Amino acid sequence: MKNIALIIAVCCLVAGCATSRPIPVCQTLTASEEEQMLWRRAQEEQDAIDGSGLLYQDGEIENYLNQVAEKLQTNSISADISFQIKVIKDPKLNAFALPNGVIYIHTGILARMENEAQLAALLAHEMTHCTHRHSLKTLRNIKDRTQAKSATIRELAQLLGITGSIASINGYTRELETEADRVGLDLAVKANYDPNEVLKLFELLKLENEIEGVEEPYFLGTHPKVQQRIENVNRWLAEKNRGKIKGSKNTIKFQSRMSRLMLENARLDLRQGKFFIAQSTVKKYLSVNPDDAQAYFLLGEIFRQRGWKNDSVAAINNYEKSISLNPSFAESHKAMGLIHYKDGEKRRAKKYFESCLLLSPNTADKAYIQGYLKLCTANGEG
Amino acid sequence: MKKILTLLISLLLITSCASVAQKRSLKDLSNNDFSVEIPEGWWKPKHIDKFFITKDGHSLQYVLIQQRPIDRPYRNTKKKLNKGMLPQEAAGVIIDDLASDRRIYNFKVIENAPVVIDGREGFKLLFTFKLEKGKKGVIFKTLYYGFISGDSFFNLRYNAAMRYYFEKDIAAFEYILSSFKVVKDNAALKFARDL
Repeated sequence: MKNIALIIAVCCLVAGCATSRPIPVCQTLTASEEEQMLWRRAQEEQDAIDGSGLLYQDGEIENYLNQVAEKLQTNSISADISFQIKVIKDPKLNAFALPNGVIYIHTGILARMENEAQLAALLAHEMTHCTHRHSLKTLRNIKDRTQAKSATIRELAQLLGITGSIASINGYTRELETEADRVGLDLAVKANYDPNEVLKLFELLKLENEIEGVEEPYFLGTHPKVQQRIENVNRWLAEKNRGKIKGSKNTIKFQSRMSRLMLENARLDLRQGKFFIAQSTVKKYLSVNPDDAQAYFLLGEIFRQRGWKNDSVAAINNYEKSISLNPSFAESHKAMGLIHYKDGEKRRAKKYFESCLLLSPNTADKAYIQGYLKLCTANGEG
Repeated sequence: MKKILTLLISLLLITSCASVAQKRSLKDLSNNDFSVEIPEGWWKPKHIDKFFITKDGHSLQYVLIQQRPIDRPYRNTKKKLNKGMLPQEAAGVIIDDLASDRRIYNFKVIENAPVVIDGREGFKLLFTFKLEKGKKGVIFKTLYYGFISGDSFFNLRYNAAMRYYFEKDIAAFEYILSSFKVVKDNAALKFARDL
């Protein structure tokens, strides 16, 4: 069924590729069938993403991201396109723009950023994909190539990939990504952001990829690779002495807006077993919010779950700090119980398990805790 | 002519019945270090090279039983199981792997509890998920039992479409689960070798 739908979609694509007149970007203007079809597919993809529990929903952060996009759009060639910025709960270093102006940024890349200037460079890059109709260009390019090769509908469907017409998610050609870098940096500078900051972000991401052995993400990814993107930015900065431009960074504002998201992304990194990245993100968070019991608990979890030599000591220190900051934070009590239980210190474990159940009688792990308590008592250490 | 036609139809029926019988057998179902009893009507799809059985087709319901080397990495998390882990910690690794899986959507854990399987301490997870993005698509429900024994992680999964099928065949899965036995204890074998 999926294949049939895809083939029908591809047929529609091919049928709609007859015009060569200039195509307006905005939906309010007259668009070609091709572009209208792209928007429809974008809308379908948007509905699917939004209905899959993938979104990180925080109105304050969304407002902030949209404000930065508006600031950038003032100088865009297509001031009337309606951009909408959304966040996806995913630790992957990714961002993509649908052709209808909806831009998705993963929590992973937002959590790594240091300031608003870096965010502006990323947003301007993605916005350029929309304003310069990179999806449409990709679609036409695929169509030309397949026509030249007399490809079958099935081959065309394969070329377009599972997302059909929305090439934006899968990445663009090296040329289009380079164009998005250059135009995006121009936009960021016109909006008074420091263009040197994006280079720092790329270098940091490159280092993280090397440390964690992470596959290169799409935003930096295949078209062109991160090193090529760094070279793009370096070239752009070298031209007309742009490297000397000193714009705003808005570091404090950015970090205070993103702090909750940072902690959430550290949880996602921990879930994937990326202990180093999770740890550095929590530490970054704590530099802005030094009295957060949840952050110390999370740091404790990182150490406990990593389980290297002396990690249990580090875990206990962080759990204790968490409890001292917020004595009613049940998760830290539970974690302390667990770590003592495993060390055979049943009396201490019992104390923490009991306080956990007292603070949170319906905790998700209640059945396990009740089991541990029974064993602690049975061992005569009650 | 009529006779030939009848003969041809009969032959066609016999061969098709034979192929259905072959398809719906439990052939090639290797047990590794465990044994289970399988209720009538369940069969192993030929193309799946695992201890994998279904009754109405694997897209509607299946039971999967695995014996996994404890140090084998997972697809979506770098965390690994280890011998010293409590069942709760092992369940945590499984949840983290599933929650990080980009091929599934709307993943939700309904229950996470300790259980005893064949006399061993383990865990039981009950969760739902979808294989398609968006509001459309079938919701699947899975019961996942797991425990660590020696160098192996054993797990028994019952997955079915949440609507109708999950309830329909849960008794069959419970029968399989209650009959499950580890027949070669890795820990005991290792001990014997050490001696």
